[in-house]
Amino acid sequence: MRTRIIVKLDVKPPYVVKPVHFEGLRKIGLPVDLAKKYYNQGADEVMYIDIVASLYQREILFDEIEKTANELFIPFGVGGGIKTIEDISKLFHSGADKVAINTYAVQENSEILNEAAQIFGNQAVVVNIEAKKWDDWYECYTDCGRIRSGRNVIEWAKEVEARGAGEIFLQCVDTDGRQRGFDIELSKQVVDSVNIPVVVASGAGKLEDIKELIEYARPSGVALSSLLHYDKYTIKDIKEYLRSNGIEVSK
Amino acid sequence: MSNIIGLINYGIAGNIHSIKKAIEKAGGVVKIVNNENELNSIDKIVIPGVGSFKDAINELRKDGLLEPLKKAIHTKPTLGICLGMQILATLGFEYGKTQGLDAIKAEVKPMLVDAKVPHMGFNTIDVVKSNLLLNGLENEEFYFMHSYEVINYTEIASLSDYAGHTFVSSVQKENIYGVQFHPEKSRDAGLKLFKNFIEL
Repeated sequence: MRTRIIVKLDVKPPYVVKPVHFEGLRKIGLPVDLAKKYYNQGADEVMYIDIVASLYQREILFDEIEKTANELFIPFGVGGGIKTIEDISKLFHSGADKVAINTYAVQENSEILNEAAQIFGNQAVVVNIEAKKWDDWYECYTDCGRIRSGRNVIEWAKEVEARGAGEIFLQCVDTDGRQRGFDIELSKQVVDSVNIPVVVASGAGKLEDIKELIEYARPSGVALSSLLHYDKYTIKDIKEYLRSNGIEVSK
Repeated sequence: MSNIIGLINYGIAGNIHSIKKAIEKAGGVVKIVNNENELNSIDKIVIPGVGSFKDAINELRKDGLLEPLKKAIHTKPTLGICLGMQILATLGFEYGKTQGLDAIKAEVKPMLVDAKVPHMGFNTIDVVKSNLLLNGLENEEFYFMHSYEVINYTEIASLSDYAGHTFVSSVQKENIYGVQFHPEKSRDAGLKLFKNFIEL
């Protein structure tokens, strides 16, 4: 199985930004330009997350999403601020292939996952988890790592699978944007607790971090952002490195 | 010769936008088909689809497209993509038992595999019976995103392997083609497949 190499675009419209610990934003560029750049480098997927839509209770910006989708002939996931089946339907019509839901499902109405999976198919419903580490457990956070939910990450992962989610996109509040490695223990626990694909984000700072994560936790995909945004490596470099270390990736 | 590719638009579950864009990128002319009249005015058919087998058939019925489409796919070259391939089958077993378009003698069942499902990501295809659609695409990588598979023994065009489980990744019967993967999400290989379809 080829491990997917996914680009995560954290968007604070109109810019892709790079938060550190989900705060301290730096502007990187426009989503449409970056999506195209990474597509040309060989990205397997792009995940676009509007990191302020939930927090500011703002409308999803469908035009921006459509513009970005137009540059891609690979899967395109979109998350941030989704609250209704209509939102999801509009995102698909704007060119999204899957949607990532966090805040609304965790804090208000988890049923939306069941409904969405039945209408759009499991493969189109991704649950975005923002995990925060405590002494002996991980808690789900929402609104871009700001609001606690009291929910246990592992229990929530199992619950969303039962509700019909087709994929988990796992972010970690503690390691995001720091480029000091992934939380591989968290990753392994989540991967092992469900039968749906898990994509792990938050923490890649060097090539070895990615290799370590894949070998230890066996996620279905790895999401990268800072590492690429600061042009430390191209996706082509990363895939060559992984391949030379015996890890299967796509061309 | 007129060569308009009709993209079947049914319900809220279509991945129409990205397929339209990819066919146009490959040089084709696309018309969105919403009803029977529009179906009559096109030359080739593409059936998209994300969602469930049952919803897809129900939506087609609701739009008055089910019966016309059953006939049209036997007279116009047709390409079913992902769920669009699955509904070409006789029967589907997603959320109950549903009759399909019955163009390919097949059943659609959950993938039973000792690995994560949905099967999601790039995978190669092993062409077992070559055809014009797959011309030049042997061993290329395509993007898959599915939990169900088409069980068929007679119209297999290619097979793929997921965690040791071999499944049907494309079918062909005369001018009816179905691909389990998403050519519109498969970079240049996918665009080449659409080009082949345009040139059929």
